[in-house]
Parts: sequence; structure tokens; C-alpha cells
Amino acid sequence: MTEIPVRRSLDLAVEVESIELVLDTLSAWWLDVGDVDPRVRFGFDTAVIEIAGNVVEHAPAHRGPGRFSVELTADARTVSATVSDDADPVDVDLSAPTMADVDQESGRGLALARAGVDRLRYQRVGDRNVWRLESERA
Amino acid sequence: MLQVDIDSRDGATVVAPRGRLTMVSARSFRETVTDKIARTGGSVVVVDLSATEFIDSSGLGALVACLKTARQSGGDLRLAAPTEQVTMVLGLTNLDRVLRPRATVDEALRD
Repeated sequence: MTEIPVRRSLDLAVEVESIELVLDTLSAWWLDVGDVDPRVRFGFDTAVIEIAGNVVEHAPAHRGPGRFSVELTADARTVSATVSDDADPVDVDLSAPTMADVDQESGRGLALARAGVDRLRYQRVGDRNVWRLESERA
Repeated sequence: MLQVDIDSRDGATVVAPRGRLTMVSARSFRETVTDKIARTGGSVVVVDLSATEFIDSSGLGALVACLKTARQSGGDLRLAAPTEQVTMVLGLTNLDRVLRPRATVDEALRD
């Protein structure tokens, strides 16, 4: 039996390929987390990847490749992730992110992240953007 | 990682993305499929999602782009056998209404 809480931490280059590493880490983490409703798991994975993708996509080009971090934590009641980077502040309203129309090729990321977890929060903490995602395990 | 298998079946093209269709692989997937559509204009493309473990918004964007290209060339694009995560994401984005996934490749070919 894995000890609670189950944690994983990642420090990653802000580049597209890092998305694969986040997914690999999520897969390994879930094995230790144990029983979770598949819809909770798939929604959580989707939300974490959308937020990590947002970090990669909106990285300031003028500063060269930066780093971002992903921390995963599961306890008896919840699964949560914190995604943070030191890019410019993000102007976002998470209370009602709009889903793109079905004929659009982009504009679904944040709405999908919001729909994937029970709680999604963005905060500017010092010089860092901090995204916090959380879902009940059941 | 994503491997894309392409087969011809019953006059249609069956495309099977195996692995993760994310921002890492979406662009090359889109290019592979739209190139194929350009060479077989007007035919039906079935995207077999039975081995697509994960899709993100970039992957969805690629599917929408491929659907548009297929329809513009007088053909169509249909999804088949999506896995659980893909089904969930298609539902959350309402794309299941326009891309209406079929249970199997055979069903998608028959439609």
C-alpha cells in the first residue's frame, strides 16, 4: 500500500516535448494513487495537460527557453496539481471560460481544463504564475 | 509519441493514430492526413481512435481541420471507436455533435 499523500514533482523545460513527460508522470503517479473513478482521472489528466500546454504555448519568446514545474498530490479525499512558471502574468477569467464553436480549430484549452476538474484557480504569486487544479477522488 | 497507420478499405481511407494526439503530435498528424486527403480527393476518411490513448485541445483542432479539408474536397471524415478519454473530451467540447463517433470502423465505413 502506497503511503498517502502520493506526490510527484517535475521541473521541465518550457517546450512542447515536455507535454510527453507530464503524461508519462501522470501515468506512473496514478498507479500509486490507486482507485479513482475513470472520469475523475481522465478529466484531471486532460486539465493538467491543457494548463501545461497553455504554459508552453504562451511562453515569452524574447526570454529564451524557461522552466516550469508540475506537482501532483493525492490524498485520501482529493487529487491535485500545481503548475507554475515565471512568465508574464496571465490575464484570464476562469469563472466562465468560453468553449470555441465546433468549427473552430483552437480556443478550447482553458474551457476544457475548467470542465475537467472540480476546482481550477489561477494566482500570481510573486513573479510566478500558479495554476492549482483539484478534484474529489469520488 | 504517436504512430499514424494509414490503410485503404472499401474505397475509403482509414487513419489510425496510435498513442497520444497532443500538441506534440497534432501538427504532423494534421499534415499527414490532409496530404492523404489531397491525393484521394472526395473520398471518406475514417479516423480509427481505438488506440488513441489521449487527446488534447490541439489534437481536437487537428481533427476539426481534417474534417474541413475532407468536406472541402467533397468527401467526409468520420470518427470510430474512441477510447474513454477521447469520448469524454469530444463530449465536453460538443464536438461529438459534428464528428458523431461510430462504435466501430466498419460502422463508420457503412454510413
